[in-house]
Amino acid sequence: MTQPTANCPNCGAKIVFRWSSSVQTVCEYCKSILVRTDIDLKKVGQVADLPPNSSPIQIGTEGIYNRQAFMAVGRIIYEYELGTWNEWHLVLNNGSAWLSDAQDEYVVTFAAPGRKLPAECRVGQHYTWDNETYTVTTITKAHYRGVEGELPFQYWDKQDVVFVDLMSTNGKFATVDYSDDTPVLYLGQSVEFEELKLKNLRSFQGWS
Amino acid sequence: MSTSGPNPPGTPQVKALNCPGCGAAITLRSFSQAVTVVCDHCHSILDAQDPQLTILQKFKAAVGEDAPLIPLGTRGTIRGTPYEAVGFQRRTIHVDGMPYSWREYVLFNPFKGFRYLTEYNGHWNDTSILRSLPTVNDNMSPATVTYLGETYRLFQSTKAGTSFVLGEFPWQVRVGEASDVSDYIHPPRVISSERNGNEITWSMGEYMAGRDVWKAFRLPGNPPDAIGVYENQPSPLSADTTALWLAFVGFLVALVVMFIAFESFARNERVFQGFYSFNTNVRGEASFVTEAFALKGRTSDLELTTTSDVNNNWIYLNYALINQDTGQAYDFGREVSYYRGYDSDGSWTEGGHTDRVAIPSVPPGNYYLRVEPESDFGHGTIAYAISAKRDVPQASYFGIALLALLVPAGLITWRSLSFEHLRWAESDYAPAGSGDEDSDNAGRPTGLGIFGKGSDS
Amino acid sequence: MIRNLYVVYGMIVLGTLAMAEYRGWSLNSVNEVKNVPRSVRDNPGSYRSVYSGYHHYTGGK
Repeated sequence: MTQPTANCPNCGAKIVFRWSSSVQTVCEYCKSILVRTDIDLKKVGQVADLPPNSSPIQIGTEGIYNRQAFMAVGRIIYEYELGTWNEWHLVLNNGSAWLSDAQDEYVVTFAAPGRKLPAECRVGQHYTWDNETYTVTTITKAHYRGVEGELPFQYWDKQDVVFVDLMSTNGKFATVDYSDDTPVLYLGQSVEFEELKLKNLRSFQGWS
Repeated sequence: MSTSGPNPPGTPQVKALNCPGCGAAITLRSFSQAVTVVCDHCHSILDAQDPQLTILQKFKAAVGEDAPLIPLGTRGTIRGTPYEAVGFQRRTIHVDGMPYSWREYVLFNPFKGFRYLTEYNGHWNDTSILRSLPTVNDNMSPATVTYLGETYRLFQSTKAGTSFVLGEFPWQVRVGEASDVSDYIHPPRVISSERNGNEITWSMGEYMAGRDVWKAFRLPGNPPDAIGVYENQPSPLSADTTALWLAFVGFLVALVVMFIAFESFARNERVFQGFYSFNTNVRGEASFVTEAFALKGRTSDLELTTTSDVNNNWIYLNYALINQDTGQAYDFGREVSYYRGYDSDGSWTEGGHTDRVAIPSVPPGNYYLRVEPESDFGHGTIAYAISAKRDVPQASYFGIALLALLVPAGLITWRSLSFEHLRWAESDYAPAGSGDEDSDNAGRPTGLGIFGKGSDS
Repeated sequence: MIRNLYVVYGMIVLGTLAMAEYRGWSLNSVNEVKNVPRSVRDNPGSYRSVYSGYHHYTGGK
């Protein structure tokens, strides 16, 4: 499988794309945020120092979800009132997904376009998508704190964004992302750490 | 495949910092996951996500606060995963002005995240946050919730506040803040809901014995004794009383069938009858033998009936059932006595005119009886009759068997009911007929509402 | 668990009951004596019983 390669326009380092459809990536050496145009890479910004983070997942971590293999190729770090969480960009054979890691609670979601979404939500309300009823559990105001690796869209320098989380009685999970003018829905489910069969994780001091 | 570039993210280290309030050393064992951390010297609650560790609250610890039973930093294995105790809090509710407290331990594993152990009166629960919403059935009274096919019954609903904290927490914790906590039980499990503002966090606990906690964390000494019965403590007999009584009914049916069968198929055959009189005025050899009779069929019993018209007198018969051919004999004695009279209470009688005895396991063959009567001398002639019946089913044995089946089932059910009575005594929502419905006894801690504020993303 | 123990116990009870009824077991105590000679038929007095010389009566109130 050939992976597209290019050179960083800022520092010249070699950039390898693990996913052919990546729109944005970050140069590991100079931390420049690079966006792919038709011809080459364009620097659009710089990533500030990433906050300390203890996710056991890192770029290059592999795992299995629903019998499909995936690899984590990028992430967005969000910061909210109580701290941070990670949205890892996963690449599978036939598309991409998101693995949310919030204090080691894991949720895998896929973008679900074309569903009817409310303009606003309140905690406790119910919505039904794909024959599953979800209840709003939390509404979080967060902002981008940092990016790393490859993402399927351009993402840097955003204001506070509202995220609405919903859960169902069957372990399914949904998030409505109100960052753009039109809200975006992600549907998926909560997963246990063991179910993902993760490989190539970070190690922690004092834990084998 | 390794990670990227020249500056891979470093291996997270346990952080050692200084408290901005008093300078004491602070350890962050959960790497960057903690939201708040407490300085155990000056009791300041610090913002763990802030590199400056801004002080969020300072609280006064009561003198003589007990140290956590699982010291912070101890590692233990729960369900095959190693965890480290990183935080501790004491939560208090008030019932009729009396405070009741339970303790909670925050456990951390860098891959699996957080888990909690709660302890009250020596009862422990292994608790984690639910990743699926339970279904609340508030049309029922009292309310129940259903989760994974099991129905949990409301046990207690209280307002619980944090009264003491130590270590790290993955959420905002403040001493003094209270939230609404409800516990629903399905022993050995319990589902708790904790409400903060309009957000609800659901968690599930599974009852754990103190000695299992001590084993998991390899703690020295002994766990505290468990006092009373806890809300989701499993019943020791694990008696599914319904199943037990269903089994009893099955046995009852079998008993009735056996009874009918034995009664129908028994020979119940009269093999001998004789009428005699005994002259008590004459001394000398009174023994005699009867004519022979045949006992047919399989080895079974022989029921011997002695009747006599004694009046305020007795007759004793020394019996021997002798096999004519084998010389085997069954030796025994029976008495018939009957007394009656008057006294201050009225008329009374004692004894009877008939005696029945079953001679066990008599093989088939030809038998005769050797009879030797005895009585008080000089009381005239006593008339008596002897009859023998072959293969008579003993109805009393069925009664004994019935008791033998009934008593254990009854005892087990009684024990189970008293255990459940103790359990529900602590609840305001006891089912009718168990526990106290008087709210005087209400509101002992439920022990599972753990969370202060906020939850995951 | 308890239910299973009870079922086993109940089967033992019923089994014992069946044996007792079938084989004619009795709760009464009976002495078995062997080899009683045929001469007893002709001379009943020659048979010496364990139970002879029974002097017992239940008195009145």
